[in-house]
Amino acid sequence: MSLIPNTATLLVTILTMAAIALVGINRSKSGAWTPTIRRLAGLDAIEEAVGRATEMGSPVHYSPGIGAATDDSAPQTFAGLEVLGYVTQLTAKYNTEIIVTIRQPNVFPLAQEIVRQGYMTAGRPDMFQEDTVQFLSNEQFAYAAGVMGIMNRRHVAANIMMGAFWAESLLFAEAGAQVGAIQVAGTAAMGQIPFFVAACDYTLIGEELYAAGAYLSQDRVKLGSIAAQDIVKGIAMVLIFVGSLLATAEIDFLANLLKK
Amino acid sequence: MDFVSRLQNVDRRIIYILLILVTAVPMISPLNLPLSISPGTTEFFNIVDALEPGDTVLFSLDYAPSGAPDVHPIAAAVMEHLMDKGVNVVSVSFWDAGPMFGEQLMRHYEELGYEYGVHFANLGFVPGQETAIKRFGENVGTVSRDFRGNPVSSLPIMEGIKDTRDFALVIDFVAGNPGIQEWVRQVQGSLGITLLAGSSTVNVPQTMPFVDSGQVKAMLAGLRGAAEYELVMGKPGASVAKMDAQSLGHIVIILFIVVGNIAFFLDKKR
Amino acid sequence: MRREVPLIITFVVGVIVLFANMFEGPLQAWSSELTGWLIIVSAFAVGLASVNLFRIHGTALMRMRPGWFNSLALIVALIVFAVIGTMARLGGDEKINNLNQNLYDSIIGPLGAAMFAMLAFYVASAAYRAFRMRSAEATVMLIAAILTMIGKAPIGELIWNKFPVIAEWLIDIPNTAGQRAIMIGAAIGAFATSLRILLGLERGHLGGAE
Repeated sequence: MSLIPNTATLLVTILTMAAIALVGINRSKSGAWTPTIRRLAGLDAIEEAVGRATEMGSPVHYSPGIGAATDDSAPQTFAGLEVLGYVTQLTAKYNTEIIVTIRQPNVFPLAQEIVRQGYMTAGRPDMFQEDTVQFLSNEQFAYAAGVMGIMNRRHVAANIMMGAFWAESLLFAEAGAQVGAIQVAGTAAMGQIPFFVAACDYTLIGEELYAAGAYLSQDRVKLGSIAAQDIVKGIAMVLIFVGSLLATAEIDFLANLLKK
Repeated sequence: MDFVSRLQNVDRRIIYILLILVTAVPMISPLNLPLSISPGTTEFFNIVDALEPGDTVLFSLDYAPSGAPDVHPIAAAVMEHLMDKGVNVVSVSFWDAGPMFGEQLMRHYEELGYEYGVHFANLGFVPGQETAIKRFGENVGTVSRDFRGNPVSSLPIMEGIKDTRDFALVIDFVAGNPGIQEWVRQVQGSLGITLLAGSSTVNVPQTMPFVDSGQVKAMLAGLRGAAEYELVMGKPGASVAKMDAQSLGHIVIILFIVVGNIAFFLDKKR
Repeated sequence: MRREVPLIITFVVGVIVLFANMFEGPLQAWSSELTGWLIIVSAFAVGLASVNLFRIHGTALMRMRPGWFNSLALIVALIVFAVIGTMARLGGDEKINNLNQNLYDSIIGPLGAAMFAMLAFYVASAAYRAFRMRSAEATVMLIAAILTMIGKAPIGELIWNKFPVIAEWLIDIPNTAGQRAIMIGAAIGAFATSLRILLGLERGHLGGAE
């Protein structure tokens, strides 16, 4: 087994990041380090949104995005599914209906299982209905039309969207606004963040979505990993700064090293 | 509801009707507003114009019918330029709807006497998203049959092409992911190909960092990019006419934002 | 075991696919094989999802629930597209191929384009509703949005020829800086999330409590 040319930096980066994350996780797990996550208003607002839906007697709509569980948007999808577990338990606690709409067939069984298990854990297996988790279409805009139809017909009171979104983001956010739903969104899809920020009540931007699971569960292992992320980010910042200085001085040593 | 409150809560249907009117009218009767050429368009044009007859360019058609009104006119304008120059075009798609746009582009030139397989070829859809881009980038031979069912090895245009470095240019016409980010990450960085982008307007902000870093040499941005390209080529077409509609649409949106803010301030003063 | 088996599969498959990007040799062949399996599993997922569609809309149709005609349209479309698409794929004659192409060109294409076009209207109503000078940050966002819109439309340069220059600067400099920051942060976040999934530390997607 030999290394493919030009992948040495990639390998070193992955191993370094993994090592930092594992050290962070271990220290946090052993109690040697207690990382805290700053307040994320978007996640705090979810309970308020579900509470409002309960008061109004209307359902909560949840979308884990339109990304698959198997491509490069998968981390966003998994982060969205992580939040879905939390939202399901909240809806069980408040006895409020949740409608989960799915675009990707390979996300569908995962979402179904999460909601079913969530209700069972909360002692409310009876709340899981056949149409609680609905696959609508894997055609992007057919899915978008389906979601907009559900929001309008069912007058959803809370619209929570966490995951990878593309052009349909604003369609959902505006449809939600038109029915007067309180809206919480989160995505790392950069092109769509401005739309969510403009049209939703709360938005998780980029990496905040990935921190959602740790923030909601306050699990030490996850918190350690999130804190380790910040150390990696610090290293990236130093590299960018040094790289900029070297590039200004026309020294391409670092750039060449990173290409290896 | 008093006047100020009404201004703050204009019925969205009124906004929609006004928007339909101001975009439809210039489509029927163009206003011919002048259009300046942005530096990015000139740079894109110069790179394409420097190609020699007989060179081969790869089009990565990564868009669907939804994004096509914004992206397809760019592909059509660049195709026109390349055909004029005698440069060959091979298209591939990492979106399932992409090959249909390849066919649309090529059929037009087949009717004009250009030959499929010699001047252009459509390699069709390659499933697998980012992984597929990486594999195709490193070995074009991963596609064995083209969109029309011909063995790729039998196409004269593909002679001597092993990986994407054998193309004079790679142009990604893109409306989302997989697209330019994946091309930069998986192919441009490791193989050092010359990569250009024809991006949908919504995707421009996320493509821009790659243009600034030089990983994407130049970009045409949405319908406006197509219109500017048509003008630089000296062949103004449908995209130029559509820009009038876009201009007026922007003005209506800005007016509503201004009205909303005036009402907001009046309301605060009370 | 119900939890451990998926976690072991995730770890083994993840490690093979990850390192196949960096090492030549058997890993690449295994990764390729696993990608093939993925397509098969995904095909089953499509089947499962379609069954869900049939059950929900079949029930709505049989019980004549409000909007049952929408369910009918969906089921008919599902069957027609599936049958024609399969026949065309299995080497149907020219008529079937043309019909398949026409179904796409005349139905899916225009419907997709129509939905995308709705964005223009939604951008207008969202901008009107959201862009209010409520705070200093909102004011900066509002001014930047207006300058970009006006600078990117031909009419902007008729009013003042510096509008396009300002718009270009806004997109090139502050936008790029912000996008890069979010991009790098999100990429590191995605890596850490992937690592947690790979190591079985993040298992919310398997359902139930942690």
